[in-house]
Amino acid sequence: MPCSADLRQHIEDLALRLVMGGPETAQALADWISAIQAIQKAAEAEKAQAVVAAADSAIQQIRQASSLEDWDGDTPMAGLPEAIARLQQALDAGMQAPVAADQSIAQDPELLADFALESREHLAAIESQVLILERDPANTEALHATFRGFHTIKGLAGFLELWEVQKLAHEVETVLDRARNAELAITPAATDVILLSADSLRRWLAYVELRLHGENSQPPAHDQGLLDRIRGLYTTPEATAPPGLATLATRVEAGGAEENTPQPAAPISPRPETMAVKVDTAKLDFLVDMAGEMVIAESLVRHDRELAAVKSPQLQRKIAQLTRITAELQRTAMSMRLVPIGPLFRRMARLVRDLSRQFSKRVELETSGDEIELDRTIVEELSDPLMHMVRNSLDHGIESPQERQERGKPALAHVYLKAHHQSGQVVVEVADDGRGLNREKIRSKAVERGLVPDDKPLSENETYNLIFLPGFSTAEKVSNVSGRGVGMDVVRRHIEKLRGRIEIRSAVGAGSSFLMKLPLTLAIIDGLVVGVGAERYIVPLFSVREMFRPQAETIWTVQNQAEMALVRGSLLPVLRLYRRFRVAPRSENPLESILIVAEVEGQRFCLLVDELIGKQEVVIKALGETFKDVTGISGGAILGDGRVGLILDLDRLFKEPNSASDF
Amino acid sequence: MPSTMLSANQPMAPAQSDGRAGKYLTFQLAKEEFGIRVLKVREIMGLQEITAVPQTPAHIKGVINLRGKVVPVIDLRLKFGIPAAEYTQRTCIIVTQVQGESSAVLMGIVVDGVSEVLNLTGAEIEDTPEFGEQIAGNYLLGMAKVKGKVKILLDIDKVLSTQELHNLNILAH
Repeated sequence: MPCSADLRQHIEDLALRLVMGGPETAQALADWISAIQAIQKAAEAEKAQAVVAAADSAIQQIRQASSLEDWDGDTPMAGLPEAIARLQQALDAGMQAPVAADQSIAQDPELLADFALESREHLAAIESQVLILERDPANTEALHATFRGFHTIKGLAGFLELWEVQKLAHEVETVLDRARNAELAITPAATDVILLSADSLRRWLAYVELRLHGENSQPPAHDQGLLDRIRGLYTTPEATAPPGLATLATRVEAGGAEENTPQPAAPISPRPETMAVKVDTAKLDFLVDMAGEMVIAESLVRHDRELAAVKSPQLQRKIAQLTRITAELQRTAMSMRLVPIGPLFRRMARLVRDLSRQFSKRVELETSGDEIELDRTIVEELSDPLMHMVRNSLDHGIESPQERQERGKPALAHVYLKAHHQSGQVVVEVADDGRGLNREKIRSKAVERGLVPDDKPLSENETYNLIFLPGFSTAEKVSNVSGRGVGMDVVRRHIEKLRGRIEIRSAVGAGSSFLMKLPLTLAIIDGLVVGVGAERYIVPLFSVREMFRPQAETIWTVQNQAEMALVRGSLLPVLRLYRRFRVAPRSENPLESILIVAEVEGQRFCLLVDELIGKQEVVIKALGETFKDVTGISGGAILGDGRVGLILDLDRLFKEPNSASDF
Repeated sequence: MPSTMLSANQPMAPAQSDGRAGKYLTFQLAKEEFGIRVLKVREIMGLQEITAVPQTPAHIKGVINLRGKVVPVIDLRLKFGIPAAEYTQRTCIIVTQVQGESSAVLMGIVVDGVSEVLNLTGAEIEDTPEFGEQIAGNYLLGMAKVKGKVKILLDIDKVLSTQELHNLNILAH
């Protein structure tokens, strides 16, 4: 860069002039602008993008300031030193690195990773704020929040020399800035462009992340069309809105907020970012594990026979204290893995918006329980099923506006995403006020596909559950969103993988609701400890429906082979656990044993065990590679007495009953 | 543990015998004395209740709770095809750290009794005699003669990762 010295000289002159005394009259201000413009030109010639951008924003800042009627000489001064400082910074950055975005991506990977992470958070916030703006263009808070998001991304991108990102963010920022100054209205066209820009920025982030992982990837193509559309927003209707006191007020407010920019919009993140520490998830998992161990160790001490023989109130008090602290420690450790479900809900807002346009339906998303917290893994895994159900809702559930009005319903339909706690679990609900599930249609479809015999009487629930069968789809025509028949069975499998359950409620004409009952965490389960001979096994309680001691007329042998149990009018297959696991039972007589009715993927079966020992919350441990070929066991857990108990994998136990091989 | 890696790769090469020198924990199994590198040993514990895992070979006794970790336990007698014996007061579980498929894993081995820790020099360790093809000799590090007695040194990584082990009884005779 041959003339960088010149450029530097110019900027330093400017800085010096500022120190001598800033512009005091409107005329002086115009001089400043032309000086900076000259710098911008020079920088452009040198392809020093950062300087160009910095100069651009400096000019705009001065222009805005000078457009105020009651200018008193101080206002533009406030921003100038900062603008000049930014120019200098940009120059320094430009001196050190080549211009091509592709090369600069190899720079500090840690900073880039942080940038990608932070920007994604900002983009998520931006998206939800824009959706608010779309509904309520006068919402200044949402406008400021959106502006701050883009502003921060712009700043970070500039620092990391991602010029394309910076440029795009800068253009959008300009639009938003005009809007803040009431020079531009937030039209649907504007929100469209802002959302498209956010998408484009996401593609850049994806590219950055791919490169960080050492994968080869092409940077997203330069999207001049998008840039032109953004510029079109603020160039055609030339800034005409009369500046006045109102705009001054907004500016002051905005200026205040801008100074602490890295904060995303306040309503988005209830926890201020400055108070958070980023921790490696492996470390976190280890902490959770150790806290679990501590609980076990504490329980071993507490129940120790020799200790119990010591009758000392003082010791009792100390042990009680230890118990309290251990429980608290575990709760805290567990809570560290928990994240609020709100961001996931907000991701769906965008989907609802896009789909409602696509289907020409008028739909509003309402969420509640955004603050409910779930294990990180669960929230991540929930994204796909949720997306699927929201799609189904918009495609099948919600009627067209005309149809709704014909039925006397408001044209504006609602999709609800709700979360709340219920007896130690979290219930996540996807509901709509559409037409509800059509029992007749579901039934006839299922019969047509041979999924259910024609003459079988089905209860309401049984009918609804048909839609979870693989290969079921009621969509009359296949759309590109839903109706490919891969829907609900995949959803149910996902939910069950998370040790959850899904239920359907529906009322014809009033809407339907899908309830997902999920555990708070995947590290701990509620288990039913059962005994078979000398062995003890843990049955996951979420699959257990009921348990009882069978009567003589309960168990039937079909064709001298398969055993069935008559439970509430239906015949369910019986699996004798001692046979499957080849252990000596206490008794082979079912009348002296216990039947456990379990449900996996909608199918029920009975497990025959010797006795019920109790219910216990257990920390799940993997058994490791030595036992990778063992089916029917999903892991181990330390029981209250310190011994290892094996956790049953009911799904495989039931589906692969004959895999007990030649050992 | 680079020295183990070396000897494990080329157990037959005499030049490597120095790589085998070091401390060994010796234990009894039937009438024989075996040794494994002390570096591989994490813990020696008395017999405790082992939870049997269904559908596993007989030599896999099950799992134990080692301070919150679930650790598999192998009966080394059964693994080597030596007839099972009643567990006694002397029976112990040696918890070893061995190389698993992806990372190091803990594994317990049931032995008749732990003897002592020997410091063996390279000169005291001899290569295993060639027994012909029927012996999968590469899980043996060598033999050591100490005070007139023969100790069979095991490469415990290989022992625990090999599915089929031949009857070791022939070894000593």
